[in-house]
Amino acid sequence: MEVYLPLLAQGLAIGVLTGILYVLVALGLTLIYGILHIVNFAHGEIYMLGAMAVLYLHVVAGLPLVPTLAVIVVLALLLGLAIERGIFRVLRGQWLQLVVASVGISLVIQSVGWIAFGIQEKSVPSYLPGIVDLFGIRLPRERLLAAGVAVVLVAALYWLVYRTRVGLAMRAIEEDEETARMLGVNANRVASLSVALGFVLAAVAGAFVAPVYSLNPGMGLEPILMSFLIIIVGGLGSITGTVLAGLLVGVIQSVGAILFGSEAAYGLVFVVMIAVLVARPAGLLGRV
Amino acid sequence: MSAVLEIRGITKQFGGLTALAGVDVTVGEGELVGLVGPNGAGKSTLFNIIAGAIPPTGGQVLLEGRNVTRLASHDRARHGIARTFQQVTLFGELTARDNVLQGLHRHVPSRVLAGLVGTPGYRAEQRELETRAERLLDLLGIGTHRDEVVSEQPLGIQKLVTVAVALATEPTVLLLDEPGAGLSHEESTRMMDLVSTVIRRRCTIVLVEHNMRIVSRYCDRAVVLHFGQKIYDGEPGGLTADQRVVDAYLGVAELA
Amino acid sequence: MKTAALVLLLLALVALPPLAEPYMLHVAIVVLMNAVYAEALYVIMRMGYLSFGHAGYIAVGAYTSALLATKLGMSVWLGFLAGGTAAALLAWLLGMVTLKLRGIYFSLSVFAFAEVVNAVFRAFDFFGGPAGIAGVPRPMFFGVRLNTHLGFYYVVLGAAVISLGFLYRLAATRFGFTLLALRTRDTEGLAESVGIDAARYKTLAFVVSCFFCGLMGAIHGHYLRFVSPFVFTFFFSTDLVIFNMAGGLGSFWGPLAGSVLLTALGEQLFAAGYYKSLVYAVVLLVVILALPGGLIQLPRLREAWAARRLRWAKQPVATTER
Repeated sequence: MEVYLPLLAQGLAIGVLTGILYVLVALGLTLIYGILHIVNFAHGEIYMLGAMAVLYLHVVAGLPLVPTLAVIVVLALLLGLAIERGIFRVLRGQWLQLVVASVGISLVIQSVGWIAFGIQEKSVPSYLPGIVDLFGIRLPRERLLAAGVAVVLVAALYWLVYRTRVGLAMRAIEEDEETARMLGVNANRVASLSVALGFVLAAVAGAFVAPVYSLNPGMGLEPILMSFLIIIVGGLGSITGTVLAGLLVGVIQSVGAILFGSEAAYGLVFVVMIAVLVARPAGLLGRV
Repeated sequence: MSAVLEIRGITKQFGGLTALAGVDVTVGEGELVGLVGPNGAGKSTLFNIIAGAIPPTGGQVLLEGRNVTRLASHDRARHGIARTFQQVTLFGELTARDNVLQGLHRHVPSRVLAGLVGTPGYRAEQRELETRAERLLDLLGIGTHRDEVVSEQPLGIQKLVTVAVALATEPTVLLLDEPGAGLSHEESTRMMDLVSTVIRRRCTIVLVEHNMRIVSRYCDRAVVLHFGQKIYDGEPGGLTADQRVVDAYLGVAELA
Repeated sequence: MKTAALVLLLLALVALPPLAEPYMLHVAIVVLMNAVYAEALYVIMRMGYLSFGHAGYIAVGAYTSALLATKLGMSVWLGFLAGGTAAALLAWLLGMVTLKLRGIYFSLSVFAFAEVVNAVFRAFDFFGGPAGIAGVPRPMFFGVRLNTHLGFYYVVLGAAVISLGFLYRLAATRFGFTLLALRTRDTEGLAESVGIDAARYKTLAFVVSCFFCGLMGAIHGHYLRFVSPFVFTFFFSTDLVIFNMAGGLGSFWGPLAGSVLLTALGEQLFAAGYYKSLVYAVVLLVVILALPGGLIQLPRLREAWAARRLRWAKQPVATTER
């Protein structure tokens, strides 16, 4: 037990750092769900593309880090707009088709990724090497940077949604679309914006995770599974719920891996998901 | 006249909100009762409780003397309570005939094995069910629409299909939730004529209606709800004279 | 006319195979298995439930039969039935809980279930861990072990014909008709109001669906002669959904067409697995965007387009779960 405690503390700390990144991805999902009411299965692939973009632009092509990130943000925005306009808008009203279409998009991106990427494992060197020692808990600087960026983005999202006119429009559409439309809110623009923003959040999360985990085109699966769990537990459509649940899930997974091994922890996460779905189908803080 | 539907002391609380506060209503066989009240008075809630869609917080619902309060809604339907919904609810992608057919299923056992094989007996049964469905649609004057997909039909036709579906179960008590809502004056007159002639011959009817004129003209009795309480139960003609009813509606022109 | 065509097809399926080479038989076997899986999934898709976890039930069937054969030396034929029964039982237990959920919640819960199943198989040595169970035997037929492709082909054909026949008739019966009434939460309420016990129907449909998945899954395992957690994955479940959607959900023939066409196509692209996924996904997207009603509606494309144009007007941005 003496040995366990520092290990658990370490797990907890890493869990929080991991959780924050999950939150970023999950927030993108929740944003899209909140406005459009569709679960974007392709979200994990956007995260993957963000990481891959860092590999190809920064490592292979030699573009400095900050411009690379800028390009990633722009590309994610454009991709989001394109997909919303070209696919989501066309299928509006057909729930089943939308869900399956997003799965299809996910498969297309992933398959192309595998074909282009090949089998070899590739990696991205650290942005900020070194470890910070905090009361015996070792935190990689990298992870702290990623977490820091995530916190900034979450704060920016809160500011956008609750303090700007754009955010007001989004909340209006989410609350009562018909009335919002009658009051002049451009629903189409809000829809496009939500998807674009959601994609940006996922891509940035991917970009910052690139040096931490090994890269492969299938890397989007785990974050998106975790994101589903997070937004279900936290409640689809609730930003605060997503944040809390994200941290919780990160911690459960990290601590669970230490206690039971990573395979079991993975399975445990799903058992938790089923349990929450059954006990509280609307999630802990859900509204829809 | 025997009581076919009895509602005794029904209360319903939603969290801190009291939707119904001890409502007692007795409906006799063959009556056509109008349930009225301003918005939020609890009319649809009462319907939902009678039909078994939501449970009451307290009180009982008796159908032909039998206590059905604990029964699930599909069981109640099998015992003879049928209803329509405030928002038109239909099996959208199916034809009018298929919609009514869904309502007829309670009259025949499922007979899966015979169906799997496709015995002549089963097929004859199916044909008979289809004929019954068509006859019901004819009865309501929409027989020509039998092969049309209901989601593509205008509201007037859709509402008549919902009534046909409810009638398919051959109910003892039929609850009609605002049958005239959203219809033109002509369509709603047509609907009410059907209700008060053809349909009332087959079952006892309770309908929710906002339009006082319709209630006065067609109903045997009017029950008025206000903030979850019954404030009037009697002749429709006496509605405008009753002070409590007038106060509840407070200057609403429809009262005339 | 239709029956004549079917009889001819059946005769061909029975008489021609001895002339075919083993690879053709392999393709035929996979096509038949996928057809059953797709139609089994269709049972619950008809009532509005989208499952991304059917592979989990297939895996349960496969592992059950494999374990019984390798650890207990039980007859493979019984193993097939045991596989189906195990999957059906699990479906019944979980169905009581998960069928109350609708829309995306249901999809995620079944998906989570399938992941848990695979995680369990990977984690414990009893199930062979990540390597799975090897040496799963073929069934014995009058003293002869059916180790050849041809021999096993007839087993698969028999099972497929029975399963597909049952599932086709099921759709045609009152039971199948009633399932159409349960597509959304609203229509479920309506169904209840006319006396249909929705929970019972949904559970029964789910159990039937999973029984056939388990049955064919068991057969699948004995065909491959091994089972592992990497065979019946999320991507497998997704393939089944693609077969259904691409083929068209309007009738029994849709998923059948979808599974046959795409599986045959997929086997041609066998070379690189990811090309197959890409093609499937692209076909899926093309069908969803351009061919409402699925591939089976190809002959009536114009009408379908016109109907869709009518629906496009004034759709709200938020698409509520059906």
